[in-house]
Amino acid sequence: MHIPDGFLDAKVWMTTTIIGAGAAAYSLRRTKLAMEPKKVPMIALMGAFVFAAQMINFPIAGATSGHFLGGALTSILFGPWIGSIIMAAVLCVQALVFQDGGITVLGANVLCTGFIGCFVGYGVYRTGMLLLRGRGRALITFFAAWLSIVAASAGVALLLAWSGTFELGLALKAMLGWHSLIGIGEGVITTLVTGYLLERKVSVAKGVAGHA
Amino acid sequence: MLDGMDKKRLDDQGKPGNAASGPENAKSYVLTINRTKWAIMLTATLAVAGLLSPWASSSPDGLERVAEDHGFLDTAGAVHQWAPIPDYEVGGLPGNALKVGAAGVIGVLVMLAALWAVSRDYNRNSGSGGDTDVVN
Repeated sequence: MHIPDGFLDAKVWMTTTIIGAGAAAYSLRRTKLAMEPKKVPMIALMGAFVFAAQMINFPIAGATSGHFLGGALTSILFGPWIGSIIMAAVLCVQALVFQDGGITVLGANVLCTGFIGCFVGYGVYRTGMLLLRGRGRALITFFAAWLSIVAASAGVALLLAWSGTFELGLALKAMLGWHSLIGIGEGVITTLVTGYLLERKVSVAKGVAGHA
Repeated sequence: MLDGMDKKRLDDQGKPGNAASGPENAKSYVLTINRTKWAIMLTATLAVAGLLSPWASSSPDGLERVAEDHGFLDTAGAVHQWAPIPDYEVGGLPGNALKVGAAGVIGVLVMLAALWAVSRDYNRNSGSGGDTDVVN
């Protein structure tokens, strides 16, 4: 779902470039505070995984395909700040090395698939886990990932409409329709990988727990 | 005897939880430190990028489909004409599988190197202390 150069007009790509760069810079500062040495190889590996998984377009309906994005996955694993940095890094490598996604619209892509995907996915996951007290974690994860894709595609639709490419209602309907299908794939992959890599925290202070 | 519920009520610091930190939530789950699992993730990543990628669907994706249906696909262009591996195909290799698979493996290695460098750099800077640049 990467926007290529040319889809957004000058005012939109310039605005999103500035906001995207600002958001990425702020995210790096937040990341600095959340970083732990032991996480460095894990972050690098998950970035590589997101890149690899994004290459796999799976067929949906009507001779259309979709692919994994990864905002929900990376933010559920590492939090939304590190998650959005991972997504920004993937988008930069894709645009610079593989010409996938435009350069002028890199900021727009970072905002939509990076920030919107990460924060919506993480927000839904956190809220769901809180409200349901951890029951149905797989379902919460699936829904968080599904909604992250739908929200990211809504962001793209807004930018397209703002560019005057086409009318907002039509843009939303078209983008959300396809991406609510693509979101199913996102949900399945996110649920499987987080289920594999996250485990319940084990207490390190059993002695203190006696009177709990 | 400590049962499962009591263990779960311990908060982040391992102290007995109060009502607020009591029930299980997103913070009750942490990344595994099981090396085998991470090794399997690395293997899966390389296999997906190197072996599975040539068999990905080549149908237009969601946004391309919308652009095609609404007649603005032809406005797409590329400002950056010097990408070393455009469209995930390494030139000069025989066969689609090799071209795309090689692109995938190169991409994985670039991602590993880039994120390792960025996060290690940040880690080193923040670990040096004296950083008053605290963001709330």
